[in-house]
Amino acid sequence: MKRIFVITVIILGFAGIAFSAGGVKKKKVLEQDYGNVVLDTNSLKAGVNPVLFEHWVHRKAFTCRVCHVDVGFSMKANEGGIRAADNMKGYYCGACHNGKSSFNGGEPLFAACSDKFDKDDMKRCLRCHSQEKAGQERETRREQREKAFRTFADNMPKERGGNGINWELAEENGTIKLIDYIEGLSTRRPPMTNQKDFTIGAKVEGVPEIIFSHKKHTVWNGCEVCHPDIFIGVKKGVEKYSMIDLFAGKYCGACHGKVAFPQSDCRRCHTKQV
Amino acid sequence: MKHLLIPVLLVILVTVEASANFNLPPLPPREEFGNILIDRTSEANGQQPVNFSHWLHRTKFTCRVCHGELDFLMKRNATEITERGNRSGKFCGACHNGKIAFRHNGNCDKCHNGEVGYSNKRFDDFMLKTSLPMTMAGNGVNWSAGISSGAIKPQTYIKKKSQDMNFEKELLLEAEMSIIPPAIFPHKAHAAWLDCDNCHPDLFNIKKKGTHFSMAEIMKGNYCGVCHLSVAFPMDECKRCHPGMRE
Repeated sequence: MKRIFVITVIILGFAGIAFSAGGVKKKKVLEQDYGNVVLDTNSLKAGVNPVLFEHWVHRKAFTCRVCHVDVGFSMKANEGGIRAADNMKGYYCGACHNGKSSFNGGEPLFAACSDKFDKDDMKRCLRCHSQEKAGQERETRREQREKAFRTFADNMPKERGGNGINWELAEENGTIKLIDYIEGLSTRRPPMTNQKDFTIGAKVEGVPEIIFSHKKHTVWNGCEVCHPDIFIGVKKGVEKYSMIDLFAGKYCGACHGKVAFPQSDCRRCHTKQV
Repeated sequence: MKHLLIPVLLVILVTVEASANFNLPPLPPREEFGNILIDRTSEANGQQPVNFSHWLHRTKFTCRVCHGELDFLMKRNATEITERGNRSGKFCGACHNGKIAFRHNGNCDKCHNGEVGYSNKRFDDFMLKTSLPMTMAGNGVNWSAGISSGAIKPQTYIKKKSQDMNFEKELLLEAEMSIIPPAIFPHKAHAAWLDCDNCHPDLFNIKKKGTHFSMAEIMKGNYCGVCHLSVAFPMDECKRCHPGMRE
């Protein structure tokens, strides 16, 4: 019996060494790559490269709500199970990328996916299916993306972290105009009055309190992106949101740290010095 | 014989864990502490590796400027610095553009010289001019005291303003072994150089209790060891963290 005990202690000891690794700095995502998502529910199985989705390209023209509520995209990569057939029928990407729809007086958007295609169509496929199998992109494509990002970002209000763009300010001062309604897809509802900004106390003494603004969030998200799934929000103060949870992608972390400005920008939320 | 196996294994296990604690890496001369040679692609492209001197840069800029605003990673050769990037104002080029610091053209061998001690000759001059308190290891000076006394005034940002959290809480960290006095961690001294996100949440999660930052891990270059082995004052100065320690 004693021997078993001692052996267990030794095994736990070695396991301790193995799992104690930590405290390593993660690689920071570059500004042009922040918010990029690799989608591969069916691509590789179907013999094409995974899709590289760039949030910044879309959020410069649309609210989050349009895609994540009206079109119905999941908030987690590869959870939605997007199929080429869905796109062709006008669901998901195909809701806008149908070869007809145009926004802000631009050209009609290219059609997503097709069951018949020739050599000329390949370019169209590669616009989205651009992620090489090994997770690396072709160098030329990478450069193109970076250049496109720079051209756009250089005219935007600057910010630390994330895309290096202050999206909130860009929307506020009219540098970007967001589309929140797509004909035949969105439903108009009378707008709700925004709740006044309120403070959320920090747990650690000395850390400034959070000023949470519904107003700033509803511009992009309406109500439905957050409520009731992410924040059930029955009564203020009932749920506690710890930074540990947030860093793990819960609550605010569902967007902040992935697409919206990262949580490392402490003072963006913790604004009220007490 | 068989009954000896377990005690022997235990002894090995304990010595492995303990010996990792006290093997401090050898220190370079004080004027070369924190100097690195960067050679991600230089030599492969027929250029000498780049000498980079932390001490020279930290007299004028806080860590957060390069390791936050300019996206330099905390590991040598990990940052994808390219000539084209530099020329377009990224990384080194953010300052080395002829406006803030010397420019690219005509200055190749100021960086690409492969000499880790390239800035040595400027070290004594600087130290004579600036009255920084002396210490025993690292660069031989107390950089933090230099900031609080105003002897050096490193910039906190170039274009995008830093966070300024004013979080000054001092933590008391109990040591693994009862004979070692606890370590103190001053947020204030760190926040003078760093933004919150330089350390949180990657290096230090903010769980109140639970994670123990063992010396063995720190020695491997994790946690405090990310900076306090190679750039910030080295761990030879036990007393600076464990003030209760006897000499």
